[in-house]
Amino acid sequence: MEYILNTTKFILQGTLTTIKLYTITAILCIPLGILLALLKSSKSSILKNLVGIYTWIFRGTPLLLQLFFVYFALPVIGIRFSQFTAAALTFVINYAAYLTEIFRAGIESIDKGQFEASKALGMSYKQTMTRIIIPQAIRRVIPPCSNEAINLVKDTALVAAIGMGDLLRSAKIVMTRDFTIIPFMIAIALYLLMSSLIVTFFRKLEEKYSIGT
Amino acid sequence: MIKINNVYKKFGELEVLENVTIDIKKGEIVSIIGPSGSGKSTLLRCINKLEDINLGDIYVDGKKIDKNISKKVGMVFQGFNLFPHKTVLENVIEAPIIVKKLKRKKAIAIADKLLKKVGLTDKKDVYPSKLSGGQKQRVAIARALAMEPEVLLFDEPTSALDPELIGEVLNVIKELANEDITMVIVTHQMQFAKEISDRIVFMDEGKIIEKGDPKQLFNNPNEKRLRRFLKRVI
Ligand SMILES: Nc1ncnc2c1ncn2[C@@H]1O[C@H](COP(=O)(O)OP(=O)(O)OP(=O)(O)O)[C@@H](O)[C@H]1O
Ligand SMILES: [Mg+2]
Repeated sequence: MEYILNTTKFILQGTLTTIKLYTITAILCIPLGILLALLKSSKSSILKNLVGIYTWIFRGTPLLLQLFFVYFALPVIGIRFSQFTAAALTFVINYAAYLTEIFRAGIESIDKGQFEASKALGMSYKQTMTRIIIPQAIRRVIPPCSNEAINLVKDTALVAAIGMGDLLRSAKIVMTRDFTIIPFMIAIALYLLMSSLIVTFFRKLEEKYSIGT
Repeated sequence: MIKINNVYKKFGELEVLENVTIDIKKGEIVSIIGPSGSGKSTLLRCINKLEDINLGDIYVDGKKIDKNISKKVGMVFQGFNLFPHKTVLENVIEAPIIVKKLKRKKAIAIADKLLKKVGLTDKKDVYPSKLSGGQKQRVAIARALAMEPEVLLFDEPTSALDPELIGEVLNVIKELANEDITMVIVTHQMQFAKEISDRIVFMDEGKIIEKGDPKQLFNNPNEKRLRRFLKRVI
């Protein structure tokens, strides 16, 4: 019993790192994704293309490669980050690319009559976006965002590959040391707990935004 | 009130409006009729700048139209375009509050009056998805009126409605006719156009072919194309 408790404590420390990375990524990639989605559905074709290239690169290459690139390759040209910064940076940029596409699709899925009605009532572009289009788009992007949020839980485990002491790596350390499966059982339980919390959160969010449908 | 001078409009290579000229007086009710694709909606949408014209001028209230035109000109769409995430009341007060910067209380007072006028007081806290098409269109009319426009444009306000719901919307529009708001109505409801309009405009292939008094135009059309059109739709 005491062994399980101690092991859990150790793994929880790793979990904290995972949660910290998760939270920072989630908080930063949402506004970045919204901003880029707005640029991508704007009229400027230069901005559109730049954002297009960005999402093409970051959605089209492995996240692990991007992480290695930032942590191992950039130092070669003199750009150095700590493990955590490298991980957070990579995750934010990578996830923002996915969210950009999700948000853009959400905005473009709104009937053009909504834009016309807003314009005919004298609303500015900004008012139309913030008061009419984005609230409706949010409702439609909740399910795909929920998917990404769960993917992110799992993807955080990739940081073990650059030697960060996250949930997975802590579990692996104990396992290798003591040669028991218990640490992995604990890790499984913790990942499932996090995923379930996120699913619940998004279900609540969906209920909240389902008014009027 | 509305002065349209030699207006041309193209979509790519397609000439949609060709040398359209018409003057509409304050308080006048003008219906635009014509076959599908003749440019009726486009003409209407040029008046409130939902479309930009290629040549010519449009004046409203003596001023060349600019991006502020929607302060003077309201529009009712075939597909209603209500805001689905807002209740009926919120739909009506939204623009007065955020565009005209009215106090919420004042906006609600105006909205209450308008919802009463269109007979939907009891629906004010309902979301649009719970309304029939006729009710939706009446909300859309109230929403447009809440901005107190001098001109109201209707683009086939009853074309998306089941036949039994058309009457309630037409009645609301007829009631507005007694006020001094200027109205331009694109419609396929010939009987309604005849009853309500001060003037009828017949368009075909982007041009105004004939315009005039409803009785004269429906009973003694001059143009062959109009005669053919009327035979087909009545
Ligand atoms: N945004 C657009 N892009 C390209 N072509 C368009 C566009 N809007 C309309 N058109 C074309 O312009 C012509 C006139 O269209 P418009 O909608 O003004 O006709 P209408 O008289 O309102 O027809 P209907 O009775 O079917 O509503 C049509 O040939 C139509 O296909
Ligand atoms: Mg039309």
